[in-house]
Amino acid sequence: MRRSIAYPLVTLGAVVGSAAVVASPALAHGYVSAPPSRQALCASGAVKDCGQIQFEPQSVEAPKGQRSCNGGVAQWSVLADESRSWPAKAVGKTATFTWVMTARHRTSNWEYFIGGKKIATVDGGNQQPDAVVTHNVDLSAFPGRQTVLAVWNIGDTANAFYSCVDLNVGGGGGSTTPTTPPTTAPTTPPTRTPTTPPTTKPAPTTSAPVAPPPAAGGSAWAPGVAYKTGDVVSYEGKNYKCRQGHSSIRSWEPSIYTLALWLPL
Amino acid sequence: MKRLVVAVSAVLLLGACGTAPQTQATQVTNAKAVVQAEGEHNDTDVMYLQMMVAHHEQGLEMVRLAEKAAQRADVKTLAQAVDATQSDEVAMMKSWLTGWKQPTTVDHAPSAHADHGGLPATGPEEIAALKKAKGKAFETAFLNLFVAHQHNAVEMANLEAADGKNPEAKAFAERVKLSRTDQIKQMLSMINT
Repeated sequence: MRRSIAYPLVTLGAVVGSAAVVASPALAHGYVSAPPSRQALCASGAVKDCGQIQFEPQSVEAPKGQRSCNGGVAQWSVLADESRSWPAKAVGKTATFTWVMTARHRTSNWEYFIGGKKIATVDGGNQQPDAVVTHNVDLSAFPGRQTVLAVWNIGDTANAFYSCVDLNVGGGGGSTTPTTPPTTAPTTPPTRTPTTPPTTKPAPTTSAPVAPPPAAGGSAWAPGVAYKTGDVVSYEGKNYKCRQGHSSIRSWEPSIYTLALWLPL
Repeated sequence: MKRLVVAVSAVLLLGACGTAPQTQATQVTNAKAVVQAEGEHNDTDVMYLQMMVAHHEQGLEMVRLAEKAAQRADVKTLAQAVDATQSDEVAMMKSWLTGWKQPTTVDHAPSAHADHGGLPATGPEEIAALKKAKGKAFETAFLNLFVAHQHNAVEMANLEAADGKNPEAKAFAERVKLSRTDQIKQMLSMINT
């Protein structure tokens, strides 16, 4: 027993009975982060054009008993679209599934399926999940390319959360073998060839934007660039010096709100 | 918006006068207090900022653990950058709440889920677990917990966007939404490399 919580029955009834729950991002709860589920690939930008699910990968919620990658929810039909050529992660004979949980509901159990056949069940003891939830699942009977449906069955609602994970089982290597390469280009390419070598390791193949650092002479600020302390950029006609190394993202452009990152020159 | 322009100009002016870098940095630190949340506000604005102060402080606790315990350079750098930016955001939110004559603390854990039995992604037990984790296990724990933590930040920003009134607080929520969405992108990629 990790916590004692009073569950308002009226609210519980509302969750059970309301279809609106499925569409509401505020009530979203979890998904498989590694190996990357389809919604994780959408949220990381490794797979493009997924629609709204990229902003709320934790939202694939539907009544228990669904067996499709989108939990049967029309809004998330992209996740069940096999024509999207989802990249498959190469794993050994056993895979370790890790969950991101944005609300820690009491858990009935976790179930894993391949082709409609249940391959593993992990009891949740009707307790709050641990801080980090990882499950080792034996996949030795399913070599080659497989789509694993991972299901988180909630203990205190009638719903479950669904994640499909595409794998290449027993491939031996640790690299991904996408059927088609994921689009991994930075959202904005660096404006100039770097004159100094990158201090960070080369960007991994499935990574979100991590580009070489800019030239020191004040190239235009751009998202997806690994800036280091001392780098100078120009933004809207003014120059700024980087005070804290970071990989640039939207809303971290030089401004009155990001003085911790950029010093006006 | 007028106040923002004034603040930026002040900083640039000091820079242009040949002030020593240290002095410049001091002026910059002072400048951020100038950003005021003027205009009307409603209960959602107050609740949002109070929840976000608590949420941010929990986030700062997590990234400060990561600055020490993470082995990967990219994880450490992200943690440092989040520490720097969120520390400023906490100071800004507190100054807005104080300006509105509202308390800067809430008496319960911040959660957009509390009304239907779910607990938020991160609480004292998750942070305790993070403190115990070492090596690769630390990075797995930190990244997955912090992704969830920032998903919660986006969820709260959506509440403010829908029901808030103060333009400055709503603009802040929009920046939170963008920056946290992109941090989640980075961390999901880190988790799988």
